[in-house]
Amino acid sequence: MSKLAGLHINVGGVSMETPVIIASGVWPMNPSLWPKGSLEGVGAICSKAITLEPRAGNRGNRLRETHSGLLNSIGLQNGGAVSFIENDLPALSSSGKPVVANIAFETLDELRMIIERLNSCRDMIGAIEMNVSCPNVSMGGMAWGMDKGSLERSVTAARSLWEGPLWVKLSPQAPSIATAARICETSGAQAVVVGNTWLGMAMDNDREEPFFDRVFAGLSGPAIFPLSLRLVWEAAGSVNIPVVGCGGICGPEEALSMFLAGASAVALGTGLFLDSRIPSSTCEKLSEHMKRRSIPEIKDLAGRGRHFRRLQGGA
Amino acid sequence: MDLLHKSKHQPPLDLKGSLAFSEAAGSGCRYIRVETDSALPDTSPGQFFLLRVSGVSDPLLGRPFASFSGSGNSVDFLFRPVGRGTELLASLPPGTRVDLRGPCGNGFPVPRSRRLILVAGTLGIAPFLDAAARFSRTLGVTTILGVPGHGWRDFSGWCRDRIPDIHIASDDGTIGNPGTAVEEALSLFQHEDEVWACGPNPMLKNMGAMHSAGCERLFVSLERRMACGMGGCLGCSIETRSGSARACVEGPVFEWKEVLWNE
Ligand SMILES: Cc1cc2nc3c(=O)[nH]c(=O)nc-3n(C[C@H](O)[C@H](O)[C@H](O)COP(=O)(O)OP(=O)(O)OC[C@H]3O[C@@H](n4cnc5c(N)ncnc54)[C@H](O)[C@@H]3O)c2cc1C
Ligand SMILES: Cc1cc2nc3c(=O)[nH]c(=O)nc-3n(C[C@H](O)[C@H](O)[C@H](O)COP(=O)(O)O)c2cc1C
Ligand code: FES
Repeated sequence: MSKLAGLHINVGGVSMETPVIIASGVWPMNPSLWPKGSLEGVGAICSKAITLEPRAGNRGNRLRETHSGLLNSIGLQNGGAVSFIENDLPALSSSGKPVVANIAFETLDELRMIIERLNSCRDMIGAIEMNVSCPNVSMGGMAWGMDKGSLERSVTAARSLWEGPLWVKLSPQAPSIATAARICETSGAQAVVVGNTWLGMAMDNDREEPFFDRVFAGLSGPAIFPLSLRLVWEAAGSVNIPVVGCGGICGPEEALSMFLAGASAVALGTGLFLDSRIPSSTCEKLSEHMKRRSIPEIKDLAGRGRHFRRLQGGA
Repeated sequence: MDLLHKSKHQPPLDLKGSLAFSEAAGSGCRYIRVETDSALPDTSPGQFFLLRVSGVSDPLLGRPFASFSGSGNSVDFLFRPVGRGTELLASLPPGTRVDLRGPCGNGFPVPRSRRLILVAGTLGIAPFLDAAARFSRTLGVTTILGVPGHGWRDFSGWCRDRIPDIHIASDDGTIGNPGTAVEEALSLFQHEDEVWACGPNPMLKNMGAMHSAGCERLFVSLERRMACGMGGCLGCSIETRSGSARACVEGPVFEWKEVLWNE
């Protein structure tokens, strides 16, 4: 426990023992599949995207590695909100860690119905994380997070329906992450997660056609880290609510950089495919850094790298 | 996940280790041993590990390989360089640090028949390398290796050195009997034999001929691209009669008739 001293933090209404979150869509919902000791250092666990109805996910290829990255086209495969509440939520809660429910919706009606269902088990849910990278059907399929109006409407709607902590997971495709983060803040979100996967694609050169059936796929992993860090910097500079840094963190050093850029917590996705002990090594690194710099609490680490001075007139 | 009851429910471990040796296994294939820093759990044939080079982020993900001769602190793999990950693995000198995640997946079930036919397509022999000898103490075991032919002579010899009574078939007829591994298996099949197969997915699909020939217990180990190897990413899903299944948890071994082959 002493290893975790000073790492406790409250992120947008969620009290966490450590600031390290398991990101959405990468971790089994069934605790019997978790490697022994892998929850050491984990502050909260995010569910896979929950949709109103069950979804079979995408057909065809779902994964393709790129240089230091991973493209995925899973297609939000999940058992739907009812199955989440009956099966996954009790299982995730048994970990004793706050559960962040990642929700995806194509219409405001769907959003309302998902939240109504989640309200029935409010006590078991640490926060709702709105995944606004999904298409808004009424906007011709453009992602909710891409358009200021849709983002504002959806976050406002969720805020009025959900009494618990509300987070929004932004899409890196948003034209301005600073603007998107501000809209979330003014619409009632208590934290923003920055961010989801970057839209990319792969070509099957032998077949002379796109590798994925849906052509585009989400890029994650170390390849996107510098891009995510820049987004976190921009978002943290524009809002007062906490920013959760996510994207390409595969080790303690990147996690630390996220905090210095302004993140109050970090979420790990692809990194967990490589080593399930990264949360624990990240906590050790953070503690060590804080001790060395006499920083008593993790909340004081957020944004420390923003108070910089550069020598003017250098080469 | 409806099929979870068929898996062993043991989550994999994340381990570190070093390459103890890397030897040519003929025809470009490599036979490697990894010595792990901590003890390995027991593994069964058909289970696999994700293997990657420590500290390297390109290639990024561990690659799945069937393990054999796993005990104590060492585990063996046999593979062929077919792309970036396997080419890098093939070039590593002994002593190289590697990360392993495993054992993953369900493995083949405990055999219920008195005779077992193991059918391998090229590198699909890996999970059977020690199983063949182990099971032959108590069961009648027939092992079949199918290769394309030309170019696979040395690898076939390497396999024969380990399994002297192996039946080899080649598509072009240049090594062993002419024909495919499936045809060879059909010619050796006797009523009530249990059949396990591992190899490229098209070969496994063709194993349906064994089913038509009356084989009641027919199990195949399927290949899918994988990221997590522990049931988290849903990247390795396979359509089965009981719904979507993860090759890394409910599989990679499935009953042939459970798989929806045309999906
Ligand atoms: C459960 C399981 C056990 C396996 N056991 C063995 C083994 O014992 N020995 C062995 O040589 N190979 C085995 N494989 C296949 C091996 O994992 C792939 O050959 C390897 O991942 C290719 O990596 P790469 O980076 O070299 O190839 P890439 O550059 O990624 O791809 C090269 C080619 O390999 C194919 N490929 C990529 N990933 C996979 C995959 N996961 N399964 C099948 N084909 C793939 C691609 O479609 C492409 O045609 C196994 C696969 C699975 C799923
Ligand atoms: C296989 C896979 C599935 C994912 N599923 C979801 C999801 O269901 N909902 C979501 O909001 N993000 C999902 N993500 C995005 C991750 O949560 C994370 O935001 C992204 O991968 C960037 O972080 P990383 O580079 O650490 O992986 C998924 C990512 C991967 C790789
Ligand atoms: S590889 Fe991730 S679920 Fe199978």
